[in-house]
Amino acid sequence: MSDDGGWLNNYVNSLPERGWFKFLSKYVVVPYWVWREPKPKLPGGPRPSSQPSDNVQRMMNLLMPLKDTSPIGRAKAVMALAQNVDEIFAGLDNVGTVHSARFLLVEDYICMISVYDGDFSNYIRDFIATIGSVFDDLMHLVEGGEALYPCEDHVEEFIDWVKAHDLFQAPDYAINLLHVQDEAAGRSPDAPPHELLSLPRELILQLHSNRNISLGGGYRGYPGYSAAQVRDKLGVGW
Amino acid sequence: MDDPKLVEDIVHALDIEGGSAKRRPVHTIGIGATGVFEPSPVAKDFCTAEHFQPTEKPLEVAVRFSNGMGLVKEHDGWSDVRGMAVRFKLSNDRATDLISMTLPVFFAPTPETFLQFATAARPKECNRETPWQKIRDFLKLQIPMPDPYPGQETRPNEGATEFADKHAYAQPAVLQASVIGAPVSYVRASYHAVHTFIVTDPDGTDRWVRFNWQPIAGVLNTNPLDPPVGVYLKEDLEKRLAHGIERFSLMMTIGETGDDFNDSTKQWPPHRKRVMMGLLTLNDVPKDQEAHAEKLSFNPWLLTDGIRPSEDPVLKIRKDVYEFSSNRRGGIPCPFSGTEG
Repeated sequence: MSDDGGWLNNYVNSLPERGWFKFLSKYVVVPYWVWREPKPKLPGGPRPSSQPSDNVQRMMNLLMPLKDTSPIGRAKAVMALAQNVDEIFAGLDNVGTVHSARFLLVEDYICMISVYDGDFSNYIRDFIATIGSVFDDLMHLVEGGEALYPCEDHVEEFIDWVKAHDLFQAPDYAINLLHVQDEAAGRSPDAPPHELLSLPRELILQLHSNRNISLGGGYRGYPGYSAAQVRDKLGVGW
Repeated sequence: MDDPKLVEDIVHALDIEGGSAKRRPVHTIGIGATGVFEPSPVAKDFCTAEHFQPTEKPLEVAVRFSNGMGLVKEHDGWSDVRGMAVRFKLSNDRATDLISMTLPVFFAPTPETFLQFATAARPKECNRETPWQKIRDFLKLQIPMPDPYPGQETRPNEGATEFADKHAYAQPAVLQASVIGAPVSYVRASYHAVHTFIVTDPDGTDRWVRFNWQPIAGVLNTNPLDPPVGVYLKEDLEKRLAHGIERFSLMMTIGETGDDFNDSTKQWPPHRKRVMMGLLTLNDVPKDQEAHAEKLSFNPWLLTDGIRPSEDPVLKIRKDVYEFSSNRRGGIPCPFSGTEG
């Protein structure tokens, strides 16, 4: 709340909430900036790090677009998973680095949300080895999946496909989005520094390229510990 | 004191119109409270300092909450960093301090760069954007500078932003300070001791750590769209503690090799290991605020065996800056030898 700078000032302050200005922003202003400063789509998954707690409890947010988004098509996706619960649970136990994993049906996507330890590619490789047949069933139902069938014979292609469908993870601290964009564009971060006020525009333009993103790395109740350490401490073995 | 002129220059750069040399140059407005601290059962496994050892009787503490601005006049409802200084009263009339603020990151990595920042961010006449400038900002997908608060004539916003545009290290703090808002109560905010300290466990292992206080009541700000209330934070705390208690958890985040231990402009990722070190319970607002809060001279270097400062140069100069400020305003002398203020 600020002091009263007159009716014009108050009206201008309210512009972002006015329908006509939202319309103008959506169909003119944003497209103009997308044309002028296009942002490449940023890749999914966690960024490389050599630090221990960056390499445990990593997040995967895999969005697989359904071919048939009707209730029948969506039911088929549910059934493909529901019929393989034993295989999924046994497979993830055998992977051994998974804290949690679950499937969601959200709008037109079947999603696998999981928390795992270690390298992303090796995680995908391991779960293809252990629950690949579940994904074989799913691949018939998702866009671009046919080319990956059977998954066991297309492991590297499957890894690339998962990377392409895993959500971009926005940095934990907002300002670092500028640095991620710099690196994606082959620039040294902050050379020269960005104008602080440009951050909202950079976020809007990035959200144009990455419609769905993970907001930071999320909260962890016991950060820095691997699934193996937790299970060992709890005395429940493997 | 390594560089008395730099210390003096920093304090003078923080002095602003509307402040007073008889008060603190920043965090000028404040209120003291008293209470107790109880270490968690695991705290002793990570640090041998006295306040983290189990005791039959909880440790007494003195706490001072404050508004970050250096104005003598209270503007509780304005967006501002808040402070929480805690003195743990140890045995044999010794004490140790933990000084924290609602901003989780600092403005500059060295005393010299902080002096540059403090000079650049000295409050200047509010530069209200015209409606046309705001429209230009919207068309550039930018957020205009906020309008000044009613009665606000000067502010640091423009100078701080201009500085941050040229010095990337200041951007995290300036960005977060610009949206920090006003808490509904001093006990409804999280406070961060932004510098790194080194704690030693019973086996002699050192860990590089950062502390923060988390309110059990939860974090809650006022609605920034409502008119700001001028004065309410002291009364709120008095009322709360007249009828009950308020509590904070002390959390300790453990840094890893590769983290910046000596640069408080660099936040550690939020998924570093963290340990619950204890519980602070506030139970009273002493009537004699001069003796219990305003005359007290907190200092981040007032430490005890088992915990020591990192090599952070800003933390290092804080020892002398706090002492200089204390002497200048006639505070109860710092525990360090006599610098003239």
